[in-house]
Amino acid sequence: MFISARAAHGTCVFLLLLAVLAGCGGSARTDGADPKVTSLGSIEVTAKLVDIIGEFPPNDLYDYAYVLKYEVMQTHRGEAPKTIYVGQYNPLKPRAEAADARSGEIGGNVTAFHAGEVHRIALEVPIDDYCMVGIINKYAEQTQEPIYWAVWTNRVVQ
Amino acid sequence: MAVSRRVQLSLVSIFLLVIFGEGIAQALIELGRGERPQALDLFTRTPNAANLRAYETEMEKTAWSAKALRPVMQYARYAGYGDLGEKALIGRDGWLFYRPGVTFLLEPWPQTAATPMPQEDPLEAIVAFRDALAERGIALLVVPAPGKPSVYPERLSGRVARTRTDVHGPTRTFMERLGEAGVSYVDLFTLYREARIADPDAQLYLARDTHWSPAGLRMAASAVADRIRAEGWVAEGAVVYEEKVVTIQRQGDVLRMVDTPRIAAEFELERVDCQQIIETATGEPYHDDPASPVLVLGDSFLRIYERDEPGSAGFIAHLAREMKQSMASIVSDGGASTLVRQELQRKPELLRGKKLVIWEFVERDLRFGMEGWKLVSLPNTETVAAS
Repeated sequence: MFISARAAHGTCVFLLLLAVLAGCGGSARTDGADPKVTSLGSIEVTAKLVDIIGEFPPNDLYDYAYVLKYEVMQTHRGEAPKTIYVGQYNPLKPRAEAADARSGEIGGNVTAFHAGEVHRIALEVPIDDYCMVGIINKYAEQTQEPIYWAVWTNRVVQ
Repeated sequence: MAVSRRVQLSLVSIFLLVIFGEGIAQALIELGRGERPQALDLFTRTPNAANLRAYETEMEKTAWSAKALRPVMQYARYAGYGDLGEKALIGRDGWLFYRPGVTFLLEPWPQTAATPMPQEDPLEAIVAFRDALAERGIALLVVPAPGKPSVYPERLSGRVARTRTDVHGPTRTFMERLGEAGVSYVDLFTLYREARIADPDAQLYLARDTHWSPAGLRMAASAVADRIRAEGWVAEGAVVYEEKVVTIQRQGDVLRMVDTPRIAAEFELERVDCQQIIETATGEPYHDDPASPVLVLGDSFLRIYERDEPGSAGFIAHLAREMKQSMASIVSDGGASTLVRQELQRKPELLRGKKLVIWEFVERDLRFGMEGWKLVSLPNTETVAAS
């Protein structure tokens, strides 16, 4: 297939633009600290989102909290075991847009949840004392550990 | 036909713009906000079908173009065709219906031994729960709440209005199965049908909401209380309650689901006169007591008016007034099938001293309940007592 020099040049520019975008996002190292995550809640950890079981259901009719499994990498405030189960309120929404009358003050700069990402999270426990909606817990049959309530969730880039 | 190089490049450019333009523009916007571009997921995750589908789904929800255009298109569909989208249906006389509630009634849903159910059988979970409670001397009363289309089918379709067809939905079959299994239940379907025969204009449900009206929930609470008294599961208490009329205005959750303010603005707020339950001795609105001998489990049918405004005016408060004592409760929107029992597992103290568990769920959740109908064991209350 014939590709002209101009087309090849255009393709290179396009791929370069994608690489620049990737570089911009990837190079912004942050420990996730901000005045909210370091002050809200009684526990503050940096933790890796280990896995997400199943798909988040749509919340156009029902608000809910979805329990995610994290491995704690560092505890900044309070106490937390190595593995914690954290309820995120309406996880399909970016944290900055998730708060409403039922959730109380929650937030952060995480826009979507992906396994493998690292978050700095302000937490409360147990979730039932703070969360007034249904709690979807795919780990219910695996563990009886208390579930944490995510108050503020920021992205960490290492 | 010869096509000039300029035309070829233009077409290729347009093609690339269509394919990549949205992603690049979205990434630039996210960078401008100081956020991590979502497009990076294409490079940081394995490009398999699941991850690409997840990326596409997230783009659909968060893309600036979708957010800008969706309300316009939604309104155009509503204005042009009377279509409220995939979640809602327009009925007659300004009534709105939740589409899954209608789907539940109309689509085949096998639930006999000869035609096994395609998912967990609610009956199996209910019988297991009933048996586990019985071992601890606790009775179970199941209360399937009718969906609005079951009670007001003529508001959904003019054909029903003309033929006066009675809806024999899958819940009636399910209640027959409950009866055969020896599970106690309250038949609100017959109750509401008789109420509508007596008064065809009886407002038992809200016009633009999926839930019952104050009149509908009072009728349900009264029927449940009658059943409790008849069975002698729990004696009446001595707390005196009185009612206070509080008027609220609701937009309705069906319009909330449509999520288009311009459409919502075309419907008036629904004015609802609620009967808030006040404890006479204290003058305080009704509140739960975890030590009550009665535990009520259920979904948003229990939440409306009770935890939503005006508060203390829902099913639980009215059942308390009927039984002259406070109730304990676990309420989970859309989660009455499994989530309430999982929450009970996390709150074993709520089972202490219980004589009766009342389990309400809206009928469509027999099929669409969040997390299905999982078997959930009861919590160990002895551990709580010891600690």
